Amino acid sequence: MNTIVLTVVLPLLAAFVVPVLCRVSPLLGRLLGPLTLAYAILLTLQVWLGMEGKPFSIALGGFQPPLGINFYVDRLSLLFTFLTLVTSLLLWPWRNETEPRQYALTLLLAASACGLALSGDLFNIYVFYELISVASFGLAAGAAFAASLRYLILSGLGSVLVLCGIAIVYLQTGTLNLAQLSQLAPETLNTPLGMSAFALILLGVGVKGELFPVNSWVPEVYAAASSRVSGLLAGLVSKLAVLVIVRLLVLLFQQESALQLMLILGLLGAISGELAAWRAKDMNRMLAFSSIGQLGVIFIAFSIPGETGLFAGLALSLHHLLVKPALFLLAERWRGSLMGLRGAGLASPVAGGMFVLLALSLVGMPPLPGFWAKFLLFTGLAAQQSVIYQVALGVVLLSIVIEANYLFRVVMNLFQPAGDNSVAVITDHGWLNLGTTFLLSALLIAGMLFMGPLGAWLEGVAIQAADPVLYFDTVFPVSAIH
Amino acid sequence: MRNLAALVFVGGLAFLLLVIFNQFDFAQAPMVIGQGILTDAPDRVGAANIVTAVVLGYRGIDTLGEISILFAASAAAGLVLGRRRADARRDPPGGFILRSGAALLFPLMLVVGFYIILHGHLTPGGGFQGGVILAAAFFLPLLARPETPVNHAGLSIVEGGAGAVFILTGLAALLQGGEFLQPLLDNGVLGELLSAGTLPLLYLAVGLKVGAELAGLMARLADVEVDEP
Repeated sequence: MNTIVLTVVLPLLAAFVVPVLCRVSPLLGRLLGPLTLAYAILLTLQVWLGMEGKPFSIALGGFQPPLGINFYVDRLSLLFTFLTLVTSLLLWPWRNETEPRQYALTLLLAASACGLALSGDLFNIYVFYELISVASFGLAAGAAFAASLRYLILSGLGSVLVLCGIAIVYLQTGTLNLAQLSQLAPETLNTPLGMSAFALILLGVGVKGELFPVNSWVPEVYAAASSRVSGLLAGLVSKLAVLVIVRLLVLLFQQESALQLMLILGLLGAISGELAAWRAKDMNRMLAFSSIGQLGVIFIAFSIPGETGLFAGLALSLHHLLVKPALFLLAERWRGSLMGLRGAGLASPVAGGMFVLLALSLVGMPPLPGFWAKFLLFTGLAAQQSVIYQVALGVVLLSIVIEANYLFRVVMNLFQPAGDNSVAVITDHGWLNLGTTFLLSALLIAGMLFMGPLGAWLEGVAIQAADPVLYFDTVFPVSAIH
Repeated sequence: MRNLAALVFVGGLAFLLLVIFNQFDFAQAPMVIGQGILTDAPDRVGAANIVTAVVLGYRGIDTLGEISILFAASAAAGLVLGRRRADARRDPPGGFILRSGAALLFPLMLVVGFYIILHGHLTPGGGFQGGVILAAAFFLPLLARPETPVNHAGLSIVEGGAGAVFILTGLAALLQGGEFLQPLLDNGVLGELLSAGTLPLLYLAVGLKVGAELAGLMARLADVEVDEP
């Protein structure tokens, strides 16, 4: 069971070794990263089969929590560990033959993302969050130096805010262990001070989660960075940030005002992102802004109290994690102005067809998975009494209308016969990106076909994750308390 | 106008944080974990310096994360700063005093750096502090003689090797049936040089890694092409 720690450690080890190995044998250096990730996926599956749905906790270094750091392994954290490893393997920088640092940074990103999913200690989460920040702006800076400078500054600000939030939590409670905090929180953090800690952490972690006021880095970085890096940042890193916030909401901040703060920021993000995407002139910017909008919707979903919100939010997150990287990979061949895309879909019908499929799912066309995720969100929002959730319902509907409008505008453009003065931009990034997109689309279709069991299973994950008592009892079993 | 907005924002944020932290008494956190570690650490870990017991024992995975952050930062800087052109201008070499001073200080700084690293489990200091001194020791000759080539290949071997040693030590415990990063070997006598199990080894790895990374990073920064005036 404690082999799960290897999913964090082995990619780190590989990252340290890969620059040296690349000097000795370039071939081994190129293979090391993918092999490590594949082995880590295997380990995750083994643990998954071994745990039989029951969560457990491992004490790192043999130091029992709350003195030491523990990893908390339930279905949710295993799910995200698995997704992290698979996504990093799919978006591995295969084409980069000269720079071992790119491999090292991707491995560090994967390791820290697994750490974020598994960690059961607030400061440990901060360390992994910092690592994922540095690794991701390293990756972004390789392609887009000027854009990533803003990213770096905002990230730095975010880190400071998170640290201040953690300091407040520690000053109020005297511990950093999430399980112990979940027991102390109702008495100590249910205050304006506790709320300010949540606000600081939300804004700080929100930088990676593309939350409303701290997301101005998103369009510039995604417009300039390579599609694989954009896919990793938009698909994976943002979800891990959301996961951290959700864990904290369940365990530490059960106040209604915390949920409402997140709801309002999510609303603003959804509407501003979609409007900006509607006005965007080129493909990558459009996808970047629409990513802000969709993350806003995800934040709205998670702000519904109880398991309903977790279920809807998880469904939306998984769907976004699948669709967004695929769209970014397709966009690689259609860089530049949206107007220049006339006829591009006719020139490469496979890519065009996949774009239509992904766009339909993103908008929420039944019976594609995107529809079911949005359906969960609507039923969840409609069941709430408070007025603000009704407003949210309206805003989400509006954002879908806008989204449908601009996505179909692009689709129309793609399949219009090319005029005289328009040139379809097709760069030669052929089969690798297309193959990965094809795989992701196939997963989407498979998700549609097995929607029934998938939904039931995901609901189980949400119910397990929404239970703070289970979390506490797992980390501190009754027999161990004297 | 933009500057003014930035100023208002920064001022507002500072005021907000000031108000929040004014709610707390200065340096008065509830000692829930702290007291537990203070009583538990000396017997459990065997390090006379309790800070080291926390850094490498109780929160060892945090330290692994921190050295990875440093590694990521240096890799990212290497990616951004890139290579210099062969014909680019260099800083002029330092004068006599700087050169002799650097030659004189180099061995002393090495000794101090390694002393601080190896005594990390006994006295204040340790891998991070000692590693920075090592990095400074290797950077000093570079200031005196900017034309000396930097052995980046060697640095990256030390860097990767030290990181690998840290993780492999942790994995050895896992293989022996313990948890990752569980201290191995005997605790020894509290306060002696060879005590606290594998902690000194871990700190040596941290020190070498920090030293190699910072030296490489500073060499790269010093190596950035000077803009033509």
